[in-house]
Formats: sequence, C-alpha cells, structure tokens
Amino acid sequence: MEARFRRLPLETISQLLRVRQAAFGGARRPHVRQCTLRRLRSGDHHLAPARYAVKPFLAAAAFLFAAGAQAQDDVLGDIVSPDLERREIREAKLDSENIEISTFGGVINVEDFGSNTLYGGALAYHINEDVFMEAAYGETELGESSFERLSGSAPLLTDEQRQLSYYNLSLGWNLFPGEYFIFDDWALNSSLYLIGGVGNTSFADEEHFTYNFGVGARVLANDWLALRLDFRDHIFEHEIFGEAQTTNNLSAQLGFSLFF
Amino acid sequence: MFSLRSTFLHFLCAGLLLGLSAAAAASGPGLTLPPEGVPVDAELVTVRSPYVNIYTGPGRGYPIFHVAEYGEKLWLLKRRTDWVKVTARRDKTGWVRIADLQEIYGEDGELVRVPLPDFSDLDTQHFHLGFSYGDFAGASSMGATLGYRFTPNLSVELRATQAVGDFSDSQTYQVAVLHQPFPRWKLSPYFMLGTGINITSPNATIVATEDRRDTAMLTGLGVKTYLSRRFALRAEYANHYLLTSRENNQEIVEWKLGFDVYL
Repeated sequence: MEARFRRLPLETISQLLRVRQAAFGGARRPHVRQCTLRRLRSGDHHLAPARYAVKPFLAAAAFLFAAGAQAQDDVLGDIVSPDLERREIREAKLDSENIEISTFGGVINVEDFGSNTLYGGALAYHINEDVFMEAAYGETELGESSFERLSGSAPLLTDEQRQLSYYNLSLGWNLFPGEYFIFDDWALNSSLYLIGGVGNTSFADEEHFTYNFGVGARVLANDWLALRLDFRDHIFEHEIFGEAQTTNNLSAQLGFSLFF
Repeated sequence: MFSLRSTFLHFLCAGLLLGLSAAAAASGPGLTLPPEGVPVDAELVTVRSPYVNIYTGPGRGYPIFHVAEYGEKLWLLKRRTDWVKVTARRDKTGWVRIADLQEIYGEDGELVRVPLPDFSDLDTQHFHLGFSYGDFAGASSMGATLGYRFTPNLSVELRATQAVGDFSDSQTYQVAVLHQPFPRWKLSPYFMLGTGINITSPNATIVATEDRRDTAMLTGLGVKTYLSRRFALRAEYANHYLLTSRENNQEIVEWKLGFDVYL
C-alpha cells in the first residue's frame, strides 16, 4: 500500500478527491481532503490513510466508472485493491526472574532474654527496580531472663515456651543501588535497602503483633546469586512480666539469596 | 619448469581461495550463532531504533557501558522487573530497559514485544498479590491476598488474615468475589462478597477457653488507586458475619489498608 501511494503523484490524488467532492455536491466533508493530503505529504501513511482514504476512493471509483472515465481505471484499481499487510507482532519468549528466595542466620536480641542465634528464610518478589515485597520467617530459642538468673527462683517459661518464631510481610525499597569494587577486577552490583512491615511473633504461648523495620545490603555475585546483610528492629508488646511492655528486639543476619 | 611453477602457484592460490571461502562460509552462519554463555534458544532480535543503551545492572543508577546501534543484533536472555538482560556483539552482556525495546525485530522481520504486566491492559487476565495492614474489631491485623482477574470487572481472591488483639487472636481464611464497576477510574471502587472460616483463640491468660472455628460470610467495599503500572493501593471496609454455634451470630468490622501488585 505504501509503495503505491508513493508512486502516485499528489496532484492525481487531489484531482480525484475533487471529483469525489463534486459527486457529493461540493465540500460537504471538506476535512476528508485536507486530512488525507496532509497525511500523505507528511509521510505518515502506514495504516491510517487506508482507513481515511479508501472509502472516499471507493465512492469516487464508483462514480467515475459510471461516468465512463476509462483513463483513470488502472490507477484507481491500484488504490482500491485492499492488499493491506498486517504488521506482525510477536511476544518475546523470555524467562522472568523476579522472585528471590533467601536463607539467613544471625543473632537476635529479645529484650530481657539475651542474644540468641536466629535462623530463617524469606521469599521476595521484585515489583520494579525500586520496590520489592517480602515474606519472611525466623526462629530462635530464648535464653534466661536476668530476673530468672538473679532471683534463682523457678524459671518463668518452659523450654517449649522459649521457642520463638516470627513471620512478617514487608515492603522493601532499594534506596541506594550501586556497585561495590573489590580489588582491580571486581565490580559487584549492590543495593542498600530500607525495609519495613508487619508480622506476628509467637512465643510463651502467645501471639504478638509485630512491626519490623530495618536496613539491609544486597551484593550480587552474579545475576542470580546475592549476599544479604540485614539489620532489623522487631517491635512488639508483651505481658510476661505482669504489665504490658513494648520491646525493641534487634536482629542482625547474614544470608544468601537466589533469584529465579 | 616455469609453467610448472606457475601451475603450482595457481593451485596454491586456488587452494587458499577455497580455504578462505570455506572459512567465510563457516563463519557466515556462525555470526548468528549465540556466543559462549548464551543459550541456543535465546531470542535473537535486531535493533531498529537509533540506539539502545546497555547498563551494567537492572536499574537506572547503574552505568551505561555499551550502546547497541541501529541494525545491531541482540540476544535476549531474561527479564527482571522492567529490564532485560541482553548480549550484544563482541560478548557485551548487560541490561536494557524494556521501554527502550519498542523497535526490535525477529529473524523473520516481525516486531517483537517484551510483555510486561500492566493493570491498564484490562482485557488480559492476570494474578495479583497483595499485603495489607488493618484493624480487626480493635485488634491489629495483617493480611495477604492472591487474586485473579477474569474480566475487567470481576476478580476472585484468596484472603488470609491474622489479627492479634488484647483479648483474642483471630485467623481468617476466605474466598471472595470482587466486582469493580468502573475499572478505568483513577479511584476505582469495588464490592466484595465472600465466605470462609474464622478461627478465634481467646488469650489464655484471661480465661481458659477453647479455640472457636466459625463459618463466616463476608461483605465489603473498598477503593483501589493505581500508583504505577503494576502497583495499586487499596483501602477496604469489610463486615464478617460469623455463623456461630452460640445463641447469637457475631458481626466483626474490619478496616484495611494495603497494596496490590500485578504479577
């Protein structure tokens, strides 16, 4: 279609349009002519002119044929024949890697119960280059509180009650993406992120609604393997010592993650 | 003698030429063979925009270290968020913004599009995943939802909520149908109907009671607003009507604030 438009001199086309206008009793729809010609001149005519131009041309062709204007027939046949080629579009076959699974180990300090080993895992979905959402799970075993140690009385919690587990849903923001440079040869992609969310901490037969926020660094060894260092504050309220008390429980954890 | 030498020279030249042409023939298709480290089934496309920037990482902050020019071939390797990992000639491997890949063509000259989930593409069916935070009859609650949109107006959601309160903790698991009458509005309202179970465990320190498991009917309404192509904020009011085995049924009011991500 394009090639055929180019082959035709603009004068011929404008002449045809004038004929068509006469056939319909003057410039009843003057925009048709202007619009078609403007588009032809500007070269913007891959699909749109066909839509605009074919109908008037059909009308013109019918009129001219009836009037016996033989000379124009071939030209019109060329224009009218609907041999539009559709633009072929295909979706790329691409694997997407937006999910990050990680496992970590570290230390968590549960207020009054000492610092203890923490381990767990997390599943993250990367929404865009800036934001990711993460569901995490962690476990630790609480130590003795200072009250238990100093008073020498019976322990406050049973061994089973000392098992602490938490899970949370958080939103992370890759605040400072960048590169870390190691010696001469290595430039590792990295990001420093802020993260925060809500969750649940379970210990001493109780559930505790927990807010968490923190900061972390992710260093990518390659596209799919990363090292993660995380610092979090887990804030919850408990009543183990009689009255409600809000506690800040800090954790530091080191882990690695896989993207898939 | 002379003629013999010239014949020999001719043969040598012919041999050299043959060898060269054979080498050229071998390297001809070799140009489109993927370089080392690129899988054989990797998508090969030709750039038809003036140029495409290649970054060292999938993010706007990473440096541009290479530029693929008009007519250059790229192997598409994988996608991460809004970026595609590509290998260009001379083994240059990096990341390209999907928005820069509007004009790439496949081996048969067809336009190749890199698909990206987009809420505004209402005719496609897709999943969304969301987290929420709220108030469940005075208790703090956290929730997760997984939804699937069937039509521009209708979607189905699996919802799980955990609420921790002063007197009792609750867990709810529900299936709900959402109807969005005006999906194209910037602030689009929705109505919800669902059913599920509520598990309530009174806090043991107050009175020793058993966990209750009740069937719940869910009604609700909410509003969604899209912050970006794939990220929507939502606020919701829900009414849980618990069909208890006790004398009276119980009604619980829940307020929620959360976000949805289109997968």
